[in-house]
Amino acid sequence: MSDMPVNSVTTRSWQRTALGDFWAVAAVALVAGALFLLFPTNLALLTRIIAVMLLVLSLDLVTGFSGVATLGHATLFGAGAYAAGIFAARFGVTDPLLMLAIGAVAGALAGAVTSLVILRGHGLSQLVLSIAVVSLAHEAANKLSAWTGGSDGLSGIAPSPLFGLFRFDLFGRTAFFMAVGLLLVVFVVLRIVVRSPFGMLCRGIKQDPVRVRAMGAPVYFTLVKMYAIAGAVAGLGGALSAIATKVVGLDSLSFTTSAEALVMLVVGGTGKLFGALVGTLVFVWFEDRVSAINPFHWLTIIGVLLIGVVLFAPKGLVGAAESLWARVRGRRS
Amino acid sequence: MKKLFLASLALALTSSVAFADTIKIGVVGPFSGPASLQGRNFQAGIDAWLAVNGNTIGDHTIEIVYRDLPAADPAQSAALTQELIVSEGVQYLAGYYYTPDAMAAAPILEEGNVPMVVFNAATSAIVNASPYVVRTSFTTWQTSTPMAAVARERGINKAMTVVSDYGPGVDAETAFVTAFGGAGGEVVESVRMPMNTNDFSPMMQRIKDSGAEAVFAFLPAGPATLGFMQAYVENGLKDAGVTLLAPGDLTQEPDLVALGTNALGLLTTFHYAVSHDSPENAAFVEAASKAIGNAADLSFPAVGAYDGMYVISKMIEATGGNQDAAAAVEAVKGLSWTSPRGPVSINPENRHITQNIYLREVAQEDGRYINKEIQTFEAQTDPGWKAP
Repeated sequence: MSDMPVNSVTTRSWQRTALGDFWAVAAVALVAGALFLLFPTNLALLTRIIAVMLLVLSLDLVTGFSGVATLGHATLFGAGAYAAGIFAARFGVTDPLLMLAIGAVAGALAGAVTSLVILRGHGLSQLVLSIAVVSLAHEAANKLSAWTGGSDGLSGIAPSPLFGLFRFDLFGRTAFFMAVGLLLVVFVVLRIVVRSPFGMLCRGIKQDPVRVRAMGAPVYFTLVKMYAIAGAVAGLGGALSAIATKVVGLDSLSFTTSAEALVMLVVGGTGKLFGALVGTLVFVWFEDRVSAINPFHWLTIIGVLLIGVVLFAPKGLVGAAESLWARVRGRRS
Repeated sequence: MKKLFLASLALALTSSVAFADTIKIGVVGPFSGPASLQGRNFQAGIDAWLAVNGNTIGDHTIEIVYRDLPAADPAQSAALTQELIVSEGVQYLAGYYYTPDAMAAAPILEEGNVPMVVFNAATSAIVNASPYVVRTSFTTWQTSTPMAAVARERGINKAMTVVSDYGPGVDAETAFVTAFGGAGGEVVESVRMPMNTNDFSPMMQRIKDSGAEAVFAFLPAGPATLGFMQAYVENGLKDAGVTLLAPGDLTQEPDLVALGTNALGLLTTFHYAVSHDSPENAAFVEAASKAIGNAADLSFPAVGAYDGMYVISKMIEATGGNQDAAAAVEAVKGLSWTSPRGPVSINPENRHITQNIYLREVAQEDGRYINKEIQTFEAQTDPGWKAP
């Protein structure tokens, strides 16, 4: 896999993509900084949002970019969360960076292994297979309660201070800054991945797998590779949530979480990395606020939001913003 | 004049800081989704207490902040608890329907300097998770242990246990197996079902095949218990002579309407029946029925919440409204009062409630199905608690 963008023969286009990366990172960092200043008491929520963002980014890689239909993506998130949690609670591996690494490896392994099954199907059968995978994983975690805590949840996770200096405090500052740092790194890496020849090949597979195969490129193996990368990203998200909340529950490995991730991706816009970020931020933030304002009937309000987005912004919020921007620019010129 | 105005303004501002003393209580429970009836009972208990006692304690006004946790979800519980402490600034935490949720929130209490009053979650070990946990509900050890004696008295020798596979289920199983075995009975088989099981017919067949004369069951009250009881009735276990033994979670009052005549005669042991005969309970039921809207929806989580509010009010009195979790918990150790369920006290050793456990029989009175109390096991402590 080369890091060079596909069309970059000239220095100018290389500079342009580097500049694009810079602005993208600056935008994300700016929003994170603004949220930190505006909502200093909601850092735990923001950290949770970033963990879910990693899951949704990962889902975007396989669904938005590679066209794999899945309703079982939380398997990879849960694999990362449980791996990091089990190593911390049972084997005393409490260094947060090491826990993140363990989560990434576990997620990548889970991604590679489950993709072998999920990629056997197409369309609806693929969806069913993905649901089967997440249900099996959920049940396995429930049965192995000696390791995972089962329905009681895996507790006893006590991450040691970050770099030996910054304790994970009640206000969640350390966790928040670590999360933002992690998100920025992952975001840049993924931007490079999706525009690499490998990323282009995945998009090609999404559009026409038969043609890609006729060209002589391996479809199945390419997708397995993409799944492993996506797994690492989702696993990082899982490990982050284990570090930040210090508990891992069966919910992190559930069909519901998988379906919610897909909903967030649709809200933001599929096939765009920004779509995953915006969709998650809007959805989780809205959900948290609405359920705090009215803990009794909030689900109804969420339903109305979803219907609104699907009816009036079928390409997701980012897609809608893009077309609006294009229209404004078109009028100006 | 201007000086006087400024001085009075300053005084008004500072005094408003001193008097506008709102004490927030964060309540976490299932307020939406399939188990929302249990959450509404939390709310009914709180509202009933506020209706009877008012929402001020001394100069302090109480404000309740609700957070919804529809199903057992430890990670979300930890997140909501952290948010209540940091973002809402609550001085007290309360509620917690499911054990995993209470367990996940407990480690945060010391750093947050906040006591937690558990309104329901019934695993014995919760009080060991933090010194700031006080519980006003029950434990499954407490409610299940007397059932073994009841079963032996009625001549049952062989029993099977079926429980939900999580903390309180395991506790209930251990409690019953220990007490039943100790009384000379034999447990032929013990099964733990995943918490999200909702089809119980295969389980009923297994119970029939086991050859047990009775089945002891525990599931968390809510949709699961109703499903289990319906399966028990529909699969003809009652007619086949398999006696059901259970803590009262399985015959909570709102479910009895749906079970109808099929449930008549069922025996359960529990800490509270809505039909309990005492002036305290009559007053409670009147206030709580008004709060919940429909008297038929009233169930045991309401009494846990009602007594929990009493405990919190005593904590606020003792600390004068200052945030001091250690002093607040210390103040209610050994506290005793007459609850709607009967005489109760907080055991100073484990901060759990000591109370009567009643043997009840499902009966019909004035066209309503009730849990009629027929025997009392007085002043039961938690047999499942061991010093950590």
